[in-house]
Amino acid sequence: MSERKKLDRRDFMRGAAAAAFAGATWFAAGSKAEDTVWQLDPNKCTQCGRCSTHCTLNPSAVKCLNQFNICGYCDLCFGYLHPGSRERDTDAENLLCPTAAIERKFIEAPYYEYKIHEERCIGCAKCVEACLVFGNGSFYLQVRQDICVNCNECSIAKACPSEAFSRVPASKPYLYITGDTPPNVVR
Amino acid sequence: MKEPVRRLKRPWLVYVCVAAIAVVYFGLLAKNRHPEPGANLRYDVSDYRQVDTVETRFVETGRIKLAVEDARAMTVLAAGGLMVGGKNVVALYDEGGREVSRFSIKGTPTSITQAPGGEVLIALRDHVATFDLHGTMKKTWDSLGERAYLTSMAADEENVYVADAGNRVVYRFDRSGRLLNRIGEADPARDIRGLVVPSPYFDVALDGEGMLWVVNPGELGLENYRPNGDLITSWYKPSMKLEGFCGCCNPSHIAFTPAGSLVTCEKGLVRVKIYDVTSGEFQELVAGSELFPKEQAVRDLAVDTRGRILVLDPRHDAVRIFEVKEKTDG
Repeated sequence: MSERKKLDRRDFMRGAAAAAFAGATWFAAGSKAEDTVWQLDPNKCTQCGRCSTHCTLNPSAVKCLNQFNICGYCDLCFGYLHPGSRERDTDAENLLCPTAAIERKFIEAPYYEYKIHEERCIGCAKCVEACLVFGNGSFYLQVRQDICVNCNECSIAKACPSEAFSRVPASKPYLYITGDTPPNVVR
Repeated sequence: MKEPVRRLKRPWLVYVCVAAIAVVYFGLLAKNRHPEPGANLRYDVSDYRQVDTVETRFVETGRIKLAVEDARAMTVLAAGGLMVGGKNVVALYDEGGREVSRFSIKGTPTSITQAPGGEVLIALRDHVATFDLHGTMKKTWDSLGERAYLTSMAADEENVYVADAGNRVVYRFDRSGRLLNRIGEADPARDIRGLVVPSPYFDVALDGEGMLWVVNPGELGLENYRPNGDLITSWYKPSMKLEGFCGCCNPSHIAFTPAGSLVTCEKGLVRVKIYDVTSGEFQELVAGSELFPKEQAVRDLAVDTRGRILVLDPRHDAVRIFEVKEKTDG
């Protein structure tokens, strides 16, 4: 039976130094790596509707935003009204949004402001597609970081047919449709 | 003392149970727990695309393939041929569609037109520059301001009309570039409601008699003005049907045929149609969603001296040519 080798003081010091160096390196590297969050690129989004059905949260953490500085403030807004609507009013049968999450507010004749109530929005992208097809494309989807639980593997990203989802730095968590301009800038 | 070994009466049951558990486990793993979005969560305009699948006398007879990056504007030249403007370049094509020359410019033209006498006017977002046919710049007019976004021009012997989508107005200049008056601003005293321009699609054109027609895109119709800005007549056709203009702001482009008919083009559901300009009565379809299935907007529309309808289609980087198909016996 072989005799167990005793750990002498020199070996202990060597091991401790190595462990301290490795720990310091890991800590230094870790503190420099910025946290990331999930976000979707509105220019890649194809409005498939899966953001509303594939998020682990219900309703989805993906919400519609209106980029006011490119919104046309149209009276006949196709993001707000159903294409076959008879009247341009707030009656349910005329609304495109399945949860009535868009509020229409008169500004001046004949312009209206369209505001998204995010607590009602389910991220289905119907209004996004309609505005893109018929209007200026001012509606677009974004992952709301105050709602998103930042899953390690985002189930929407996995299902997204256009690979619009990616991890972005937490310090710049939104990808605005017109570069860095935030969506709450009213012209 | 050695325990007796207990044997199962039906040992295969264990294998069956293990297999069943494995099937359920892997089945659940493979199954997508998320449902696909249903009909209520999908935006479907296919029904509205169906309305323009009607018989038409027109067929697409050719395409002029463009070697111009980001082609945005075109005009038919009086001597025949076509001028197309894109990023930092203007190219000239003969009637057969062959590029004959090109010249460089700074910027991307938002509109091109040729005035009587041959002078070429090019709108560059906030100002107009004049050129000769060889591309020599003659004059740059003053900027119309930071908000200006010039989308269309029309010129006669005395006037140049310039549509500005940013300021929602049509400017009337003399041929030297001096601003004479503004057209289309709200003025209750003159019974003018004002132009509604929600997007950078705002077109003007002169008919065969030299009358100015201005698209009021937000009202989905056309307005006819005198040079001094008096409104003569107007008609509006908001409708998803073929006879009307759909979307928030249409028609996106207009032009006149040599016979005086109005040709319109819409964005959203791209439809090229012909109207009687005085009554606003729909006459016929030139091309509909079948020929423009994925386009959201074309860039420009023109009619050449032979009556061919030319559509600048960015998806195909081409000018698409539509003509009345010839009747064949049998």
